[in-house]
Amino acid sequence: MRFDDLVRQHAADLYRYAFWLARDRSQAEDIVQEALLRGWRAYPRLRAQAAAKSWLFSIVRNEYLRVMEASARQPESLEGLDPADERPADLGMEMREALLSLPASYAEPLALQVLGGFSCAEIATLLGTTEGATMTRLTRARQALKRLVAPGSAKEHKGGRS
Amino acid sequence: MSCLDYRRMLAAGEAETADMKAHRLQCSACAAQWREHAEFERELRIGLAVEIPPGFEQRLKNALTYSRRRFLAAAGVAAAAAGVGAYVWLWRDGPIALACIEFVMKEEAKSIMMGAMPRAEAEAALAGTLPLERIERIGQIKHVGPCPFNGATAYHVVLAVPQGKVTLLVMPEARLSVSQQADHDGLYASVVALRKGSVGVIGTDGAVVNSVVGALRT
Repeated sequence: MRFDDLVRQHAADLYRYAFWLARDRSQAEDIVQEALLRGWRAYPRLRAQAAAKSWLFSIVRNEYLRVMEASARQPESLEGLDPADERPADLGMEMREALLSLPASYAEPLALQVLGGFSCAEIATLLGTTEGATMTRLTRARQALKRLVAPGSAKEHKGGRS
Repeated sequence: MSCLDYRRMLAAGEAETADMKAHRLQCSACAAQWREHAEFERELRIGLAVEIPPGFEQRLKNALTYSRRRFLAAAGVAAAAAGVGAYVWLWRDGPIALACIEFVMKEEAKSIMMGAMPRAEAEAALAGTLPLERIERIGQIKHVGPCPFNGATAYHVVLAVPQGKVTLLVMPEARLSVSQQADHDGLYASVVALRKGSVGVIGTDGAVVNSVVGALRT
C-alpha cells in the first residue's frame, strides 16, 4: 500500500489518538504531521506491511513522547496558552468530560482499543507492557468512566470542577 | 465459558469471540450485561471521536508535500555535493603528474640545452617502453634526451602535434597502478602506465594532452 493511502485511511484516528495523548488540538495536529513526515522517510524500510497501522500509531506515540521530553527541558511559558484549548468544543458531552478527567494511562489504551481497533495484546506491545496489565487498565478505565457518567455522579463531578 | 470469564473479557472491552457469543446466547444475565455494555461502548466511541479540525487532512497533505520536496531537494544537493567531491577526488593532482609539470617549468629548457640523444641511441633506449615509431605516428619529434626524474632516468621527448607542442616524459622504471592527472600553473599533465614503465604527457591544453595520451595507448 502506498504511504499516502495509508495516511488517508488512518489520519483521522491518528489525530484523535494524538489528541487523547496531548489533550490539545493544535499540538495533536503538529504531532501527527511530524510523525507522518518521519513515517514517510522510514516507510520504505517497513517490512511488515500488515503491521503498518500499529506502526503509524507507534510513531505518533513516539513523536508525542519526544515533544513532551523537549518541552520538559524548556522553561514553561504561559504565553499563547489558552485554557479553552485543552477542552474540545463540545464540552456538553458527558462522556467526553469523563474521558478528559481520566489519567493518560487509562485514556491512551482506551483510545488505542476503541479508535485503533487494537487487541489487548497489540496495545500491550505498543505501550511496552504486559497483556494482563493492559486488560487491567482497560477494565479500570471503563469502571471509572461508568462511575463518572452514572446518573448523579456526573453532576457531582461537574460540580466538583467548578 | 463461565459468566465470570465472559464479564471479565467484556469489562476489558475485548471484541466478542465465538466462545463469548455462544455463552451470551445461552445466558440471559450475560446477554443483559452485553446490551448494557454495547450501549456504553457506543457512547465511549462517540466520546473518543473528537472532531477533526476543518481542513486538517488538506493541511496534512500540504505539509507532507512541502516537507517531501524540501527533503528530496536536500537529498539532491547532498548527492550533487558527493558527485563534486568524487570528481575532485578522482581528478586531484597526482604527485608524479605534478612532478612532470614542475619538470617542464624548471628543467625542460636545461634538458634541451644539454643536447639531444643520437637517434639510434634513443631508439634503443625507448624500444622496450615506448618505441620512437609509435611516437612519430602522432607527431614530429623535436627533441629526445635523457634526464634525471623522480630519482631515476627518464627520457624527455618534445613532440609537435597538429594542435601544438607537448612534452613526453618516458619513465621506464616508474610503475603506476592508476593514472594520474594534475592541473597547475597553466599546465596540464596526465601520466599513464605503459606495458613497461609509464609516460607523462604535459601541455598547456588538457584536451590536446588527453588526445595524445589516447593515441599513445592505442
